[in-house]
Amino acid sequence: MSNAQQYYATLLLVYLGVDIIAALGLNLQFGVTGILNFAFIIFQAAGAYAYALTTLGAPGPGNLYGAGFQTYFWGTSLPFPLPFLVAALVGAALSLSVGAVILPRLRGDYQAMAFLVVSLIATGVATNQIGLLNGANGLSLVPKPLKAELGLTLSDYDWFYVGLTAVFCVICWWGVHRIMSSPLGRALRTVRENEQASLALGKDVRSLRMLAFAIGGGLAGLSGALLVGFISAWAPGSWVYAETFVYITAVIVGGFGSNLGVIIGVLLVPIVFGEATRFLPDVGQAGWIDAGQLIVYGVLTLVFLWFRPRGVFPERRVRYARAAAKRAPAGVATAGSTPP
Amino acid sequence: MSLLALFIGFGLVTSAVLAIASVGFTLQYAVTNVLNLAYGEVMTVGALTAYVINKRGGSIWIGLVAGALSAAIVSLLLNRFIFGPFARRGLKLFGMVIVTIAVSLIMSNGLLIIAGASTFSYNFDAGPTFTGLGMILTTEQVVVIVIAIVAMIAVRLLLTRTKLGRAMRATSTDESLARACGIPIRRVTDAAWLISGALCGIAGVVLGMSVTGWGVFTGQGLLITIVAAAVVGGIGQPYGAMLGALLLGIVTSLVAGYFDPAYRDISAFVILVLFLLFRPKGILADVVAQREVVA
Repeated sequence: MSNAQQYYATLLLVYLGVDIIAALGLNLQFGVTGILNFAFIIFQAAGAYAYALTTLGAPGPGNLYGAGFQTYFWGTSLPFPLPFLVAALVGAALSLSVGAVILPRLRGDYQAMAFLVVSLIATGVATNQIGLLNGANGLSLVPKPLKAELGLTLSDYDWFYVGLTAVFCVICWWGVHRIMSSPLGRALRTVRENEQASLALGKDVRSLRMLAFAIGGGLAGLSGALLVGFISAWAPGSWVYAETFVYITAVIVGGFGSNLGVIIGVLLVPIVFGEATRFLPDVGQAGWIDAGQLIVYGVLTLVFLWFRPRGVFPERRVRYARAAAKRAPAGVATAGSTPP
Repeated sequence: MSLLALFIGFGLVTSAVLAIASVGFTLQYAVTNVLNLAYGEVMTVGALTAYVINKRGGSIWIGLVAGALSAAIVSLLLNRFIFGPFARRGLKLFGMVIVTIAVSLIMSNGLLIIAGASTFSYNFDAGPTFTGLGMILTTEQVVVIVIAIVAMIAVRLLLTRTKLGRAMRATSTDESLARACGIPIRRVTDAAWLISGALCGIAGVVLGMSVTGWGVFTGQGLLITIVAAAVVGGIGQPYGAMLGALLLGIVTSLVAGYFDPAYRDISAFVILVLFLLFRPKGILADVVAQREVVA
């Protein structure tokens, strides 16, 4: 493979990993718990900015990256795994604060609307407050993790990064899988399916919703950090509200509430359909490829919602009663046990 | 003081555009319960239709009528083929909002491919400039305000004096009761989409008349401000939307004038979020509760 091809391959693989982590987070919020988070992308953006600020170093003269051409309100330089951790925490903390205001008050279309507007406000402020995060130009020259320490060649380092993304990806998948197959995961599904019934069973619906929202936000933050650690630049143009829609399409196409479905959704939506549009013939209109991508995503969403609303790989219906009976040792009456 | 009057004058022009658009938005929501996020694109369709006619040498007034017609037809088709079927099937877990935002993305990017990213402006005689009460308004701006007032009176007459208007109000208050009374819901719904589409198209054309240049995303950019006006006035209430439009037009204009033009839209977004969170029934909630009138 030529260098350019290698770079394209590694870039696609990193995107795949980043998108899987993000989509797992959105699925936990939207697919499993039923929160219409139309602001999802701002939590990814927050993680990306957090990673940038904790690696770029303090702004001002004397800073290799910050001097002269970019301004930001604060910065430091932390060693390798910490910026990723901070990014996840920032994503979760921002989710908690936004969620605490919106989630208890709004449902359904209005919730989606409020999140959408929050997303627009965030983009507007980040674009217009130049001193905050360098405005519309965004932050660039963000250091790559362990780049100097490893001393690899350019393409070897890219493959190392693919591995790093894969490791994060597996950890996140495992974590989300554990949550979803635990009693907690079942409780979250009850919030989605029937809030009243869930309340009647004594579930703390409010905290459950906040928990899913915060974990999803943390995953979004981490995905943002992994993305900016590889591409080294981040600007408001990278996280317009339509980007949230890409993940929502991935979750709908793959199968909401199903982790395997999410991975298939990410493979199909941003990777296969997204990249395939790049190879469409050029009709001479500037921005036609990006426009074409969004049209494809919109059509996919409508087609799936109509013909296959549960996605390519739907959430499995688990029969808890039978599973419990199987697990219970023979001869022990299950009558006295409490229902799950 | 003179600066204040000047900004209020500009605000009134924005209010006029917003009033036409948000009354259409809220009327359609009242009857159909669909929060239509593709409304901004329908507006652009109207504006572009008028542009094509205007470029071919037609007068802007013919353009205005054609824009209203084309937007009304697009609006009706959207309901017939997309929103209506989805709404009848019932989207339990997702809500119509995902359908409408998908349509919005398809339409806006489709329009981008067809019309391109260039800036358009209408060709018509700029008449004399009016000054008064400290405001300075061009002829087209005054015309925009007059069109808005005429449209508002027309909506008022439609709702209070016609059989269709009464049927729409009945459907909005209680759909199943209205059905039981023999009101043809399907036809009333179609009429609501047509009328809201026509208002949307008019709004698109007058928006194009009131600004120096507009593009395929201008309608979408105004959408949230339109929704904000509708929500501030209490969503589903045409007279509330008129009031909301008046307030939002002036507030955003003052923010743009005194603070920073970049924050014009953001101030509308913030108002929308605050109202959704703390006063979701709008400023007229108490009045409406007292009179129990849902127009």
